[in-house]
Amino acid sequence: MILLQLLISGILIGGVYALISLGLTLVFGVMRIVNFVHGDLLMIAMYMAYWLFTLFGIDNYTGLLVIIPATAGLGALIYWGVLRFAVRRSHDASILATIGISIVLQNAALILWSADYRSINNELATRSVEWKGLHLSAPLLIAFGVAILVTLLLFAFLNHTYWGKAIRAASMDRYAAILMGVKPQQIFTLSFAIGTALVGIAGALLASVYTVYPTVGAQFLLVSFVVVVLGGLGSLRGAILGGLMVGIVESTSAYFIGSSMKELVYLLLFILILIVRPTGLFGQRLPEVDR
Amino acid sequence: MDVKQEVRKLTPTVRPRIIGYGSVALLTVVLPFLLQSELYYLDTLILALLWASAAGAWNLAGGYGGLLSLGHAAFFGIGAYASSLMYVKLEVSPWIGMAAGAILAGVLGLVTGMVTLRMKGPFFALTTIAITEVLMIVAVNWSDLTNGSKGVNIPYHPGFSNIAFDSKIPYYFLALAICLIPFFIARWLERSRYGYELMAVRDNEAAAQALGIDSVRVKVGILVISSAITAVAGAFYAQYITVIEPYHEFSFAVSVQMVLITMIGGLGTKWGPIFGSLIVTGMDTFLRDVLVGAQGGVQALLYGLMLVLVVLFIPEGLIPWMKRRFRLKNGGVHNG
Repeated sequence: MILLQLLISGILIGGVYALISLGLTLVFGVMRIVNFVHGDLLMIAMYMAYWLFTLFGIDNYTGLLVIIPATAGLGALIYWGVLRFAVRRSHDASILATIGISIVLQNAALILWSADYRSINNELATRSVEWKGLHLSAPLLIAFGVAILVTLLLFAFLNHTYWGKAIRAASMDRYAAILMGVKPQQIFTLSFAIGTALVGIAGALLASVYTVYPTVGAQFLLVSFVVVVLGGLGSLRGAILGGLMVGIVESTSAYFIGSSMKELVYLLLFILILIVRPTGLFGQRLPEVDR
Repeated sequence: MDVKQEVRKLTPTVRPRIIGYGSVALLTVVLPFLLQSELYYLDTLILALLWASAAGAWNLAGGYGGLLSLGHAAFFGIGAYASSLMYVKLEVSPWIGMAAGAILAGVLGLVTGMVTLRMKGPFFALTTIAITEVLMIVAVNWSDLTNGSKGVNIPYHPGFSNIAFDSKIPYYFLALAICLIPFFIARWLERSRYGYELMAVRDNEAAAQALGIDSVRVKVGILVISSAITAVAGAFYAQYITVIEPYHEFSFAVSVQMVLITMIGGLGTKWGPIFGSLIVTGMDTFLRDVLVGAQGGVQALLYGLMLVLVVLFIPEGLIPWMKRRFRLKNGGVHNG
């Protein structure tokens, strides 16, 4: 019974991890940018949800209507303003540039909203659903449902629309896509905006589960790197499987070893994967892009 | 043409160099005595030298070797913890602790190098982050050894063998000495066979291997050297600040600090880390003076901004950039 409980809690949290990681892996797949801002965009989205709730009483699910376009816009702005100049350069350049933006965002949040821990206290936040002796946290359950819905929508978009196909084409072979009339900067801006919108949705969903503070993104960034590498950097399906796996590993190791050590388990797993199979468990080697 | 004429022809170029280096050397020796009453600025200078040594050590692997490590805090923290734990728990002189830390970090560097050999692109950077994170968790949770998240306090017993002094001047010269280690190694790299091999591997690994260079030996070697020196800087940091905490010593911020300083000064140049550290640490002190009472975070925000701007628009760093500017202005050729 306890194992089942752990498994289900792990899958629930894993669904949210998957949602966070989808954006990271999409951005890497399309433009080969290792995005260290990803966690901070989650932080910004959580703050948006917090302020919408605190100032206007809008709960974080209705808030999605505002948060999705806002984070997508922010992502497009970051890409167009900064990363556009790094995309043709080496991995190192994009890593360092995104670390720089991450420092800027974290400290902007610190200046604007102080280092206080803030959380949304709506009545849903602490409720849990009981089902055949299993306790399931209501906000995580909703988050998981939304995560599945969003993932399905994303796959439908990527597989059945012109823009989605253009994004996939650009991630498979950038130059062939350009020759076919795909405008790379448009596609890159769009993919980055979608990536941040995905993490924005995750942030809004998590705002009623976790407290928010300026550096909250760092731990989620690390988790999503683990997820993404586990599933294969650039692979969307891999990110989903990786997310679920990390969720399960985390919930079981937190129970058996203790919650302070749970990170240790998935970090060691991460290092092991990097050493043994850096393309990830389910990924294939992505073609390197000449720069 | 007699020899005297030759010498006279040489002097105009040789003399300014000697005068330049001489006055810089003289200034570095005299400066701490001039600042003896201005402890605040002397402190800034010592910290600048400390970060210059850590960044200089990072630069050996990151700049000359092209290994973008984002986890050098691991080696820094090992140095800090090794020297202070051996001193506090075993009453071993921090000098020995410093050496022990360097050896430990060198071993970790060796292991890291061996396991990351085949990694390309961002995977090396991610692995170094993960290793640092693991060490931080260990340092926090193994509290019997490390005092956990409380950190280690180093008791103050002045004396040469304890690396604890009444005056800041000995600290200054020690920091200067440590800072010169990576500097001279960098200078050696620029004119030795090993250095050429290293840079060849950095610039095109396949081509270097085709020429018969053992890229494994070259890359692992520089990582070991770099991590050992970083640990020395970490040990000095612990002795100077006298308090260490896992959340600081093993933090991502410390790793990034070394990268930032090197990037600003000039990646893969021997003066880069020193120059960059003077700018970054100097700016830190200056801003602290200017922004008294302002919200925390402004300085760090400016660091982030600086990192973005340097990476995107002056990727070679300030020193090479200014050199090129200077040369162009004097009608020299653009060779960058």
